[in-house]
Amino acid sequence: MGDGRVGGGTNRPAWLQQYELVGKIGEGTYGLVFLARLKQSHPHAAAGVSRRGPPIAIKKFKQSKEGDGVSPTAIREIMLLREINHENVVKLVNVHINHADMSLYLAFDYAEHDLYEIIRHHREKLNLPINPYTVKSLLWQLLNGLNYLHSNWIIHRDLKPSNILVMGEGEEHGIIKIADFGLARIYQAPLKPLSDNGVVVTIWYRAPELLLGAKHYTSAVDMWAVGCIFAELLTLKPLFQGVEAKATPNPFQLDQLDKIFKVLGHPTVEKWPTLANLPCWQNDQQHIQGHKYENTGLHNIVHLPQKSPAFDLLSKMLEYDPRKRITAAQALEHEYFRMDPLPGRNALLPSQAGEKIVQYPVRPVDTTTDFEGTTSLQPTQPPSGNAPPGSQSVVPRAIQRPMPQPMVNMPRINANMSGFGAAPQAPGVGALNPGNIPMQRGAGAQSHPHQLRRKADQGMGMQNPGYPTQQKRRF
Amino acid sequence: MAANFWTSSHCKQLLDQEDVDKVPQADSDRGITPEEFRLVKIHMSFHIWRLAQQVKVRQRVIATAVTYFRRVYTRKSMTEYDPRLVAPTCLYLASKVEESTVQARLLVFYIKKMCASDEKYRFEIKDILEMEMKLLEALDYYLVVYHPYRPLLQLLQDAGITDLTQFAWGIVNDTYKMDLILIHPPYMIALACIYIASVLKDKDTTLWFEELRVDMNIVKNISMEILDFYDTYKIDPQRGIPEDKITPVMNKLPAKA
Repeated sequence: MGDGRVGGGTNRPAWLQQYELVGKIGEGTYGLVFLARLKQSHPHAAAGVSRRGPPIAIKKFKQSKEGDGVSPTAIREIMLLREINHENVVKLVNVHINHADMSLYLAFDYAEHDLYEIIRHHREKLNLPINPYTVKSLLWQLLNGLNYLHSNWIIHRDLKPSNILVMGEGEEHGIIKIADFGLARIYQAPLKPLSDNGVVVTIWYRAPELLLGAKHYTSAVDMWAVGCIFAELLTLKPLFQGVEAKATPNPFQLDQLDKIFKVLGHPTVEKWPTLANLPCWQNDQQHIQGHKYENTGLHNIVHLPQKSPAFDLLSKMLEYDPRKRITAAQALEHEYFRMDPLPGRNALLPSQAGEKIVQYPVRPVDTTTDFEGTTSLQPTQPPSGNAPPGSQSVVPRAIQRPMPQPMVNMPRINANMSGFGAAPQAPGVGALNPGNIPMQRGAGAQSHPHQLRRKADQGMGMQNPGYPTQQKRRF
Repeated sequence: MAANFWTSSHCKQLLDQEDVDKVPQADSDRGITPEEFRLVKIHMSFHIWRLAQQVKVRQRVIATAVTYFRRVYTRKSMTEYDPRLVAPTCLYLASKVEESTVQARLLVFYIKKMCASDEKYRFEIKDILEMEMKLLEALDYYLVVYHPYRPLLQLLQDAGITDLTQFAWGIVNDTYKMDLILIHPPYMIALACIYIASVLKDKDTTLWFEELRVDMNIVKNISMEILDFYDTYKIDPQRGIPEDKITPVMNKLPAKA
């Protein structure tokens, strides 16, 4: 990884010379995100792919606070991403340090799109829903990545459309990459509530147990967010757009809960027994239970027949009781993914052969900013009224210059890869045995480390994309 | 990975004893012998441990810090990376990774208190923050470390000898005065500690170990190494290595300008 040595008499570290800066593509509280290209002379660059090197997104972290050193967000992101490797999780390709100004840079494979922009394009430009094949493929891949994370005891905690990237044209076209692990946690250790860390995340995708002050997290919080995102992919509108009560250490968000109750009805202790133990359910009972709503019916909002598999899956993700909420592994096995159109590897292909391909805008790049973040332009206000509260996305809402890119209308490859891999399996050794102790005894016991290793790998089952076993070929 | 030792960077980075014992060129040039190299690592493990007592962090944070410290010197020399600064910085970084951040200024404060008599151990906040970045680089940004503590508790439970917990836990703590964590999978270290504890406390665990079907030779070898270590150093757990023994060695290493 990066060599932080200062090169050539300037303050510029030597590693910087392997990149060609294109411009700034995002900004957040942590720092800036740049688009760069790996110079072809660099040994990592594949020969003969194109004249320009592969695009890389470089996230620059500022020092969090004077005297605090490397920001804990950066540490968490490095720590987790250095260990994990999955097709549906963003790939950390390098880490660099500039000792001169004590800044830290994370280099990722660049993804041209994200779900926020894809949804926005359909809502504001095309005025057309996202085709069912694309919705299903995006959802399947999102669950596939999440299943990998959860079976490795990682909760993302900040899933939202802008954190879910989609690869642009190229070998990985239309593949989802879960990004932004700044809030992710390994949950073997007890987790403090987000509010304790003073972290601001959007509340629209936040699970009801968190809004009611649950002190312990489970991976079910990510599944609630997936449910919200699924609905948003179907309707192009955020499902629960609550107004955030700011400046309160209290996790309780009445308006957000109201928005949820309006659609799903009030939760009850009968259906969600541990509800009674949640701090806010007890303390704010009049507030919460004051309003009584007719259950609007989720099916009316997402325009799905109540008997459809899609609706069944969605309602299982939006189950109030986190212990009953569907898991990523279970969701991947759901009937919805076994019926036509089957999910595929490239989610952005047209649903029918010969159908027009949707041309999503490429990410706007502010070419006036350098790696130091010095710029001649002041960013303008977000043009869209839809930016989620507390959004700290990699994508700038500032400069919107859609630049349609000529796209070859490729025939769809049979992306389903029948027989390429088994359907995702339940977590293996790792998840069942957090201490990783080979405790097999009796019949069929394996104690050879290589066997163990292999077993563990199978349990992860994730090194190949593992698309669902095909019942029917698409073509 | 996070929950799977076998796919983790920790597992992939396990080394052979010879690689761990090898004195970096720059240090042997200064006359540091393999025995002295080992002595400095023991001494600085104590330093980390004592500092950790002051700022009150969990055992796990200490264990991660010592692992970082030992890992650094499989790649870097003590001449280039002053162990007196690397040690507190490892504790600083480990506290962030283990979600119980200790402020750098707090560390600086307690180091000043602890090492009032020795100027060479005292550093400013700025020194720690600069070293934090160099440390990240030296560790090649691999920060997740597995420890024997969790498997220890599970194994003791499984063997039905939880009354040995405190004793075995103490032995695990002591293994961080050695380089075992860089060489063996944590559950093997845990097993060795259980083996020692059960032998010394007259618990018959023979059948239990047999049923585990692990390589008992390795478990016994690790156990012997631990017992050898106790035998060789006979270290006072409160005071660490006596000053007259460690100071001449530390003096071979350059101190801050």
